[in-house]
Amino acid sequence: MDRRTFVKGSAAVVGAATLPTVYAQAQAAPTKLRFGYAITLSGPLAPGADSTTVSNYKLWHKRVNDAGGITLKKFNKKVPVEMVAYDDQGKPDELLKLVDRLIQQDKVDMVLSPYATHMNLAEAPIVNKYEYPVIMTTATTNKTYDLGPRWPYAFWNISQPKESTEPVAKALADLKKQGKIKGRVAVVHPAIEYGVEMNTAFQDAAKAAGLEVVITKTYPFGASDLQPIVREVMATNPDAFIAFSYPPDTFMLTEQAQIVGFNPQLMYVAIGGVFPTYKGKFGNKVNGILAYGGADPTAPGMDEYAKAHKALLNRDYEAGGVQVYAALQFTQQAIEQVGEIDRKKIRDVMGSSTFKTIWGDMRFVKQLNANPWSVSQWQNGELVAVAPANKPGAKPLQFPKPAWS
Amino acid sequence: MILFEVFLNGLLLGGTYGLIALGLNLQYGVARILNLSYGEFFMGGAFTAFFTIMLWKFNPLLSLFISMPIAFAINWLIYQYMMIPLVRRAADQDVLDADVVLVTFGLFFVFQGLALVNWSGDLRGYSFLSVGVPFFGATVALNRVLAFFGACAIAFALFLVLRYTRFGSALRAITIDPVAAGLVGVDVRKFSALAFAGGGALAAAAGMLVSTFISFSATIGVEYTLKALIVVIMAGVGRVTGTLAAGLLLGVVESLGGYLIDPSLTIAINFALFIVILLVRPTGLFTRA
Repeated sequence: MDRRTFVKGSAAVVGAATLPTVYAQAQAAPTKLRFGYAITLSGPLAPGADSTTVSNYKLWHKRVNDAGGITLKKFNKKVPVEMVAYDDQGKPDELLKLVDRLIQQDKVDMVLSPYATHMNLAEAPIVNKYEYPVIMTTATTNKTYDLGPRWPYAFWNISQPKESTEPVAKALADLKKQGKIKGRVAVVHPAIEYGVEMNTAFQDAAKAAGLEVVITKTYPFGASDLQPIVREVMATNPDAFIAFSYPPDTFMLTEQAQIVGFNPQLMYVAIGGVFPTYKGKFGNKVNGILAYGGADPTAPGMDEYAKAHKALLNRDYEAGGVQVYAALQFTQQAIEQVGEIDRKKIRDVMGSSTFKTIWGDMRFVKQLNANPWSVSQWQNGELVAVAPANKPGAKPLQFPKPAWS
Repeated sequence: MILFEVFLNGLLLGGTYGLIALGLNLQYGVARILNLSYGEFFMGGAFTAFFTIMLWKFNPLLSLFISMPIAFAINWLIYQYMMIPLVRRAADQDVLDADVVLVTFGLFFVFQGLALVNWSGDLRGYSFLSVGVPFFGATVALNRVLAFFGACAIAFALFLVLRYTRFGSALRAITIDPVAAGLVGVDVRKFSALAFAGGGALAAAAGMLVSTFISFSATIGVEYTLKALIVVIMAGVGRVTGTLAAGLLLGVVESLGGYLIDPSLTIAINFALFIVILLVRPTGLFTRA
């Protein structure tokens, strides 16, 4: 035995001897719970991060503290929440440094999700290493199906490409069966990972559903003019126009379809289609348009949520961000059920329990949200959820989409 | 027929590119300041138009009466109180360029930060003249046509001013040689400040016109600074009508290339054209060798 191991060994013995006192100290109730997150506050992804995620972190933080905090039943006490936030500048390496800092230096009790698929995927391994359970709220990728066993501390909240595109294909197949359409579908998407993965999933679903994809077009993200693409799509005379688009092109495709008078019987846009700005820009012309994600505006708690959102942030809530708020409600209830900050136990509760949220009853199976809202539709000027059709609150699909004017 | 429409759309898109770049070329060409905060005034013009139509329910064109004077004033102040000290202490144009880039890069963060704090990072957009107009069998968007004619009108007005007025002659003299211009009695500082401020006002005008058909947020400025810079470099520094022509070329090549080859290649086509022009005419398409 050399001297160093001896010192270590005796330290361990002394440590073991003093353990009961340390344990007794740990019994004292914490005065606050610290939640930490690193997210993109500057750069091109910042608007999306702000609108979908950061605004809901702020809102939940305010509302949970207004209610006195999180109940820790082990200490029979409500404990207020403190937030620690950093800017990852949209860089995965910066995110990793900051999450390390949150856990090691700031010693936060819980970590929250960053923004955008690749950032969520970057954070998952590190929170898993430190055993911090995190609900990843903005990752859409086919990869998540395999990530459960590898990263047991990461949960995936939103609808993945398969679940997002299958209901669309199914709705079209049903309409074809009823003889209302011939089943001819046109697909466009930007050349970014989200567009490619959604397109891949949809092509499989369309084939399985017996639909005919008559044209598939890719365009660069941030294109300045999409009218030629809309024209090409229009020339194939499809029943349905499906765009796995991102916010700038979601708006541009919708506008240019109106300009050339392209009136498909069914139209789907992906990210951005649920934004309040989308309705703000196009008014009631949004009626009938399908979009990715969304929420049920009639769900219990949504009225209060909408009012509180408007009061704190001076703007209407974004339906795509409701799930972020719900993830926090879910996490809070998991902590309250455990009654203390024991992250292993919290993880197990999160992985097995069902909790009520404003996004419906939430439950994770193999760490994937078992029943997330995947497709919504603008009906009578309001965004409602239409898929999954068996989820309470789902409205029937309206068909066909009214012509533009 | 569809090819004709693609060509027309390319022309309209090109007009937009020219419009975005005109003000920057005035700033860079005459005042010799490479203003990296240029796009922030574009963004400001877009937001003013947005608030004018969505909050105050007025025609967004009226917002030009607010945004252009404000942009003019701010740019004039920037030139007088931030750029002049740099010009004074710079040993030569290279040193000045480096200092100016750092300072205006800083300004870009300040303006963007102010916009984010006041207006949040939300995406904005509104509908104005978003109707199709038939044109010899093709359909063009009225708001893009408006931006196109706005670009042509501004370029034409600038051309007239530069060519036929005493003020324009002074500006052209400064563009060619600021020292010699000073020697023959041109008040270089005053005229450069006016050109710089005018460039900022044009950025706001471009922002207003383009905001009728794009969606935008507080962070779009830098994207448009870069677009403008490409057009300016292609056209040649200080060439006003050349700027519009270079923009049109870029737009048409992008649209036709995207349609005839593949839409996912439009950005690659743009930069290929840019590289070819830089190789063949390093000082720009429209500069006299």
